[in-house]
Amino acid sequence: MRLERLLIGLGKMVAVILIVLWSVFPIAFVVLSSFKPGRDIFAVPPKFVFTPTFAHYLNLWERWGGFFDGLRNSLIVTVGAALLAVTASSLAGFIYSRHQSRFPAGSIFFLICIRLIPPIVVTLPLFPMVNWLGLNDTHLVLIVLYATFFVSLGTVLMRTFIDQIPRELDEAATIDGASQLTLLVRVILPLAAPGMIAVAVFVVVYAWNEFLFAFIFTATKAKTAPFVLSEMISSVDGVDWGVLFAAATVQLIPVLLFVIVMNRFLVAGLTAGATKG
Amino acid sequence: MTSTLNRRRFLAAASAGASALAFGGRALAQEKTINALSHLVHQNVLTKGAAGDVIAPWREAQKAKISWTTLDSNPLQDRLFREASLNATEFNVGYVIDNRMTADVAKLFEPLDAMQKADPIEAFDDLAPGLVKAMTVKDKLVGIPVRHATQALFYNEALLKEAGIAAPPKTLEELVEQAKKLTFTSAAGTPVTGMVLASDLAVFPVMFARAFGGDFITLDFKLMPDREAMQKGLAVLADLLASKALPRSYATTRNDDMVTWMQQGRAAFCVLPFARYAQLNNADQSQFAGKIKAVAFPGSATVSGGAGMSAVVESWAMAIPANAKDKELAWSFIKAVSSKAVTLGMARNGNGPVRISTYADAGFAASQPLAAIESEVLAKARPAFPAFPEAVRAQSVFLEEVQLAVLGRKTPAEAVKAIAERVQPLLPA
Repeated sequence: MRLERLLIGLGKMVAVILIVLWSVFPIAFVVLSSFKPGRDIFAVPPKFVFTPTFAHYLNLWERWGGFFDGLRNSLIVTVGAALLAVTASSLAGFIYSRHQSRFPAGSIFFLICIRLIPPIVVTLPLFPMVNWLGLNDTHLVLIVLYATFFVSLGTVLMRTFIDQIPRELDEAATIDGASQLTLLVRVILPLAAPGMIAVAVFVVVYAWNEFLFAFIFTATKAKTAPFVLSEMISSVDGVDWGVLFAAATVQLIPVLLFVIVMNRFLVAGLTAGATKG
Repeated sequence: MTSTLNRRRFLAAASAGASALAFGGRALAQEKTINALSHLVHQNVLTKGAAGDVIAPWREAQKAKISWTTLDSNPLQDRLFREASLNATEFNVGYVIDNRMTADVAKLFEPLDAMQKADPIEAFDDLAPGLVKAMTVKDKLVGIPVRHATQALFYNEALLKEAGIAAPPKTLEELVEQAKKLTFTSAAGTPVTGMVLASDLAVFPVMFARAFGGDFITLDFKLMPDREAMQKGLAVLADLLASKALPRSYATTRNDDMVTWMQQGRAAFCVLPFARYAQLNNADQSQFAGKIKAVAFPGSATVSGGAGMSAVVESWAMAIPANAKDKELAWSFIKAVSSKAVTLGMARNGNGPVRISTYADAGFAASQPLAAIESEVLAKARPAFPAFPEAVRAQSVFLEEVQLAVLGRKTPAEAVKAIAERVQPLLPA
């Protein structure tokens, strides 16, 4: 019996270690390679012991100034998309939660349907339209697109979260003379903050890393960091892997910090409604 | 006094930072800017290398800034054509590959004849006529050639020596024999594969077919004029894979893998443009800096004793989208890039020069160990296939069948038959 428990425990530990290795290895490889001399990055047999170098980061700074402009653009677009998506999702979530009728109940199905459409399907038809509106190569077009693709999921998430807030609070506020807007701003949203943060985390991670829309809709002024990263991958005169890995590491840091800071809210937000009877 | 990070402060700081950056950037804008849509290599050869920033004098004279947007070859072409099809584009200049300049695509670009007549490019006749011809569509000049990439056979001299091979191959048969011999574990403990080839470009199977006197699509649109030669080429590739002289990962091998494998001593031979010489021997990236050499890709001994092989050449040209702004500045930029001095400078920075006079320059020939061989190979080289509307699909079909043959899923004869059946309908009538 004891041996059986020991074996099960050991098996679980091995499984966890394998999963962690599987998940961490690609990231660790990229980060460590950014500090390796270029000639050792893909050496066979691999070189695990090496003298760290910052040469790739220096090269990134000197030769790829556009990458840092790209990071700035990514930041603008990400913050804009997160604010827009969270605002729209919160308002829609409130309506779906508190004003139930046949129309909202039916329309939620269409919201979910939007998530089923592959972005590439709408991308190319949108290109001439965006151009006609004069929005090509602007931050605004990416902000709107990124937010649009997350409003559906965000709305469902926010509705679930707001559903958990006791309606007695609404009634008490209404009796005290609160309008719908006051009720939303003063009562519902503060209590739904973890849900809003969960939505924000989804949008931030997506917008920070998104490539397809940035590639199609931006050119010079609004191109984001993933777009610049793609420029570093060159099939004609080769890839400077060290610089590429340095850039990937720099790009990883802000979103990683954001997710770590918001982690506890994310867990609370995602488990909202899990025990709802 | 202590300060703690809470979500309000975090969001406020992020919003404020983003706003400051958004508005702060506007002050940096310059008045005159050339927006160039190119491959990274085009930017690099103009701005860095042994000859340095060779376009700096033009920038200073024009008080202009060059804003580069660089993409890999296929995404670059797609993006350029899409931009050129809009009402207006921010891009003043775009780089086009020779086999993409079809009649329909040419309509998207400004005819350059009038500009050339009014404000001519220096010594225009010095530009390789074949490359100029590829950019002349329906008697209209729509692009100015700036770069060619002619394929060579690269080999790792140190590995050849270790395997007791005195000289690189002179015939395709010798190449196969040496590649098999060089499939071994080196003294450094590195498992070496005789040859590494990317599977996603038509260049490589076409080179093997040409080694036997065959071709894929000729410039006058004949599909595989010598089918037996194509079969022999595919049979050689299949044999190399079966004997492990091509990596097992052949089907997923890309151009960049070829470079990395050569730099790390994981492969002894590969086929790449001459211009890759500097990168393959870059001491910062390569374990075999100075040891990777190149020769002309050898033909089969069964065809003119291995001589007369026609390598694949690909060229790039600069074009002005018809919907671009400030075409005058764009032409001025193209003129500067095409000048003798800048062409020479770009060649010293690793570009395949499009001017005949560049190869005649004594200084260039002395500084570039491959200049003489490249010049010889270029004289006989021709594109893998000509430009036509369905060229991309034709290449995809061709590569699909080639892979099936190389991986042993089809015989070379079956693959060649399928190529003929599937590609023929895609050719212009």
